[in-house]
Amino acid sequence: MKTETLSGDLLLGDGEVTLPWWKQRRRQHIDWCTLWFCIMGAALVGITVLAIANIAMAEIANPAHLLDVALSSEVIGSILLTFGAGANAVLLLILFGTPLAYVLARSRPSRFKGLVESIVDLPLILPHTVAGLLVYLLFMRRGWLGAPLSDIGLAFEDAYPGTVIAMLFVSSPFYVNTMREGFEKVPVHLENVARTLGAGTFTTFRTVTLPLSFRHMYNGAIFAWGRAIGEFAGVIMIAYYPFIISTLIYYSFTTDGIHASRSIAFTVILVSFAVFYILRRMTRFMGRYDDRV
Amino acid sequence: MIAFDRVSLALGSFRLNDVSLTINKGDYYFIVGPSGAGKTVLLEAIAGLHRPERGRILLRDEEITTLPPEKRGVALVYQDYSLFPNMTVVDNVGYGLRVRGMQKEEARSEVAGLLERFGISHLADRYPGTLSGGEQQRVALARAVAVKPDILLLDEPLSALDPITQEKFIDDLQRLHREDNLTIVQVSHSRREANLLATRVAVIIDGTLVDEGMADIVLNTPRSREVASFVGMGNILDGAVTANEDGHATVDVGGRAFEALTEAAAGEEVTLCIRADDVVLAVGDGRRSSARNTMAGTIIRIVENGPVAEVKVDCGIALTAVLTRRSVRDLSLVPGTPVTLSVKATAIHVIRG
Repeated sequence: MKTETLSGDLLLGDGEVTLPWWKQRRRQHIDWCTLWFCIMGAALVGITVLAIANIAMAEIANPAHLLDVALSSEVIGSILLTFGAGANAVLLLILFGTPLAYVLARSRPSRFKGLVESIVDLPLILPHTVAGLLVYLLFMRRGWLGAPLSDIGLAFEDAYPGTVIAMLFVSSPFYVNTMREGFEKVPVHLENVARTLGAGTFTTFRTVTLPLSFRHMYNGAIFAWGRAIGEFAGVIMIAYYPFIISTLIYYSFTTDGIHASRSIAFTVILVSFAVFYILRRMTRFMGRYDDRV
Repeated sequence: MIAFDRVSLALGSFRLNDVSLTINKGDYYFIVGPSGAGKTVLLEAIAGLHRPERGRILLRDEEITTLPPEKRGVALVYQDYSLFPNMTVVDNVGYGLRVRGMQKEEARSEVAGLLERFGISHLADRYPGTLSGGEQQRVALARAVAVKPDILLLDEPLSALDPITQEKFIDDLQRLHREDNLTIVQVSHSRREANLLATRVAVIIDGTLVDEGMADIVLNTPRSREVASFVGMGNILDGAVTANEDGHATVDVGGRAFEALTEAAAGEEVTLCIRADDVVLAVGDGRRSSARNTMAGTIIRIVENGPVAEVKVDCGIALTAVLTRRSVRDLSLVPGTPVTLSVKATAIHVIRG
């Protein structure tokens, strides 16, 4: 049975006092540190949300125009081309970057290793125009690699391979570094045990190391893909055509004005957000083998 | 069966120096030493995981110095068991069979037999992260035994287990060694494990093999002061031989005369090693005894440790005796109690030089 005391507290049958909700709330401990972290984090997320809200308000006001632009073959083709070229770059990164990341993860520190790591990180610190110029000079028709490859029919200037190679160059550190981190987290003891059980180096890599690093591989691929499809300056140096989405927005901005380019940009935001949200959700249960306890 | 001939290797700042040892078929070979001595590196070198800078490794008289681990016929069980976290127990145990190309059906029945034998059939579909330490260890052992290795390498397999599970596992290992006639090399820093299991022992300190041989000899008659300290000689005393009659020597240790059996000549410096459990204490006048070394002293400290107690006695020099706690209670021993301490001359191991 509950009775109320003079101070307004509730007295339960066995004499235990329960405070009313307004007093309970006051007594709760406030973790000021976490609260401030949340406020500061929210400020950062807030800028992005505000920027998207700003563009969204303008676009939603004219849905017919937005649909017109979003469903135009030019925009759909450009989005598919951008996502496809990014995916191609990521596939090449998986093929060439995975072995590099493994070697970097398993080799002992040395000056040579430090040099290789700096080279891997170089695209991160270079201005995008410089990255674009580097790619152009190497892969142009008279470039060291461009010349022999164009002789066998693989041209890079203003061509799809040029887009892919520029995307590959700028996104490679994102994949290699994430993948290396993943390999470093796989205990060497597991590989040692697999070796003594009869597995060769590659079998050990394929059956033990790689499956245990899959989450990092997936995340590295997403980072690299995201970086690749967002590239502009690096790509236009070697392949202004065919239009990737960032080139199309720039072209539309300079020729048709802000109204047309804003609709394309908003379409890209919606598509990219949806794709990356789904890809991120897919990592939730990846590589967690102990959740079955 | 496998022999190291003056093997040296460097691993970062650590060095393994000029290691020579022989492991014969059927040996239960212990590599003991303090933490950081290089025991695991030596074990991994046997497995072929480190390539020596110098020296040769021989397997059945054939040089295998550069042979990769997968071709050596060894299986390794680490201290942390190193089960593959992305595989179930069945897949872990069958891993070695699969990578060696065994047919699926054959591998399945082989694994089922092993799970049965190690009492882990009920864990077949579980992932390692959901197993207890003891269960993980059984899985690791089953996985290693599955490939029928010539040599089973164990890296401190008991250190992470509770005492009851340790006892069970020691039984398992003894049975494995006896019934399968398996050659086992085990790294440990536990003298107790070595006493229980080893047929041969190597002592490694700071990357150097300081003693190697039959377990009884290495553990009870150490060759050096360092080894004596490691194998649990509670009393290590430096002294000089003052007289020697037909191998029955008198040794002066800090003004106290000890009688011991040694060929060391008068004037030679020696180190006396006395196990604390070979020291007998008596209250009152216990001087009439067959023990050749009796001396009066006073208890300065008693440290109880499980069923026994370490009793430190000051008799001019400090000596340690290990008694049962019941003896301590029956004799009413406390710090300050005058006692007579005796040690048989035959219980003293003399290290010369």
